[in-house]
Amino acid sequence: MTQPIDISGYTRITESIRTEAKRILSDGTVSAVIGYTHVRRKGSTQPILITNPDDSEKLFFSEGCLNNLVVYLTKSKKDVPKTGKIGIVVKGCDLKAVVGLLGESQLKREDIYLIGVPCNGVLGSLINPATELNTKTIAAKCRECTDRMPVGADFVPPVELAAMPQMEATYSDKIAKLEAMTPSERWEFWKEQFSKCIKCYACRQVCAFCYCEQCVCDRNRPQMVEQSPRPSGNFSWHLVRAIHLAGRCVGCAECERVCPMDIPLNLLNRKMAMEMKELFNSEAGFEVREKGPLNSYDEHDDESFIR
Amino acid sequence: MHTEKPKHDFEPKIIAFVCTWCTYAGADLAGTSRMQYPANVRVLKFPCTGRIDPVFIIKAFQQGADGILISGCHPGDCHYISGNYHARRRFAAFRKLLEFIGVDLNRIQFSWVSAAEGGKWVDVVTDLTERVRTMGPMVEFKDLALEEQWSGGLNSPDLQEIYEAM
Ligand code: SF4
Ligand code: SF4
Repeated sequence: MTQPIDISGYTRITESIRTEAKRILSDGTVSAVIGYTHVRRKGSTQPILITNPDDSEKLFFSEGCLNNLVVYLTKSKKDVPKTGKIGIVVKGCDLKAVVGLLGESQLKREDIYLIGVPCNGVLGSLINPATELNTKTIAAKCRECTDRMPVGADFVPPVELAAMPQMEATYSDKIAKLEAMTPSERWEFWKEQFSKCIKCYACRQVCAFCYCEQCVCDRNRPQMVEQSPRPSGNFSWHLVRAIHLAGRCVGCAECERVCPMDIPLNLLNRKMAMEMKELFNSEAGFEVREKGPLNSYDEHDDESFIR
Repeated sequence: MHTEKPKHDFEPKIIAFVCTWCTYAGADLAGTSRMQYPANVRVLKFPCTGRIDPVFIIKAFQQGADGILISGCHPGDCHYISGNYHARRRFAAFRKLLEFIGVDLNRIQFSWVSAAEGGKWVDVVTDLTERVRTMGPMVEFKDLALEEQWSGGLNSPDLQEIYEAM
């Protein structure tokens, strides 16, 4: 049964973000603020970077604010002016990405001013932007979200989180279903999914953690990942992507959202996150981890699979 | 002096990724001690198990491997102190990923073989070879490599007609 989700708080959050952005821009705390703004199509949004306090009115927050803006802070997106401290609007999941990047020494805490949003979820897609947010249209990641209240941000609008209705956990369910299949059924499933990939690399481009100056998938001599969009190279790409993000991905699900071929990328990411939790008791959160699960070790790690 | 080798219908290709300090030396010891082990294994030498990237395994499967062995120094014996500890975590994670996409983990073996364990090397290699032999060839990745299936395949009747007229 479809139930509506209470997002009445978003109007007050919008006001709060505007006032705060205006304040930090005029008193020189930050040189720019990255946030969301309206576009002409009703309900749709786009990222915006403002440097003038008067532009604060352009900022807003709604259920259509899907983007994880943190991608504008990483190395490969150098076009964001780094002439001082930058303010950025983050939802809970986005904040976890900031935390991850802090742990990987890609960002310095003193270089950013975090405006955290108490979040009741966003839409799964903006294809029909003027849709009401309910238990059906909400993004799959929000159904299982446990970090809706950002912790450790510099400013959080004083708005209470609304109670969320009971929702089924899309990812965990799908993962459990896949795990119950036989290996060859799983292979068929992923083969069909991966074969669709056109190697546009939108998923890589949008990922806050894909900040390498040169991706192994773009290298030749030796060429480890075939570059043409054929089933074989696609498998390599998806496996490399999943293992490189294992223990780092925070589940903002941007990869899945931007994929033009509807490949369930976050399903792989969630599976790996579950494994990281189970194997190494490590998961992405609001606390900076000096080392991720795959670049640290414990002498007593399980080795039952090693002869 | 050679023992008679049984004839098999299927000789699996086993790719062994080993570290130079322990397992390579262990395999060498097996050789210099004239121990017999299946010639199915192709040994690739790496400085350390920590250098073995998961992508190598995918690549090996795509190039026709039927089984994979990854072997290095016992915990605590790594020449670079912690390479094998890191590898242990990485492969614990990677095998879960492979399992999830539908690769049979019986085709992949991890082991610690020291420079003194020529006998263990023989055991590990023999067991893996025989296990993979009973499983038959690894066809999944090979089949993928043969598939052309571009995303815009000639799958509509109109396109097929044009193609045939060409
Ligand atoms: S995952 Fe959580 S924090 Fe992120 S948009 Fe959904 S509800 Fe908000
Ligand atoms: S966005 Fe989708 S189609 Fe594009 S490279 Fe990523 S998985 Fe492939």
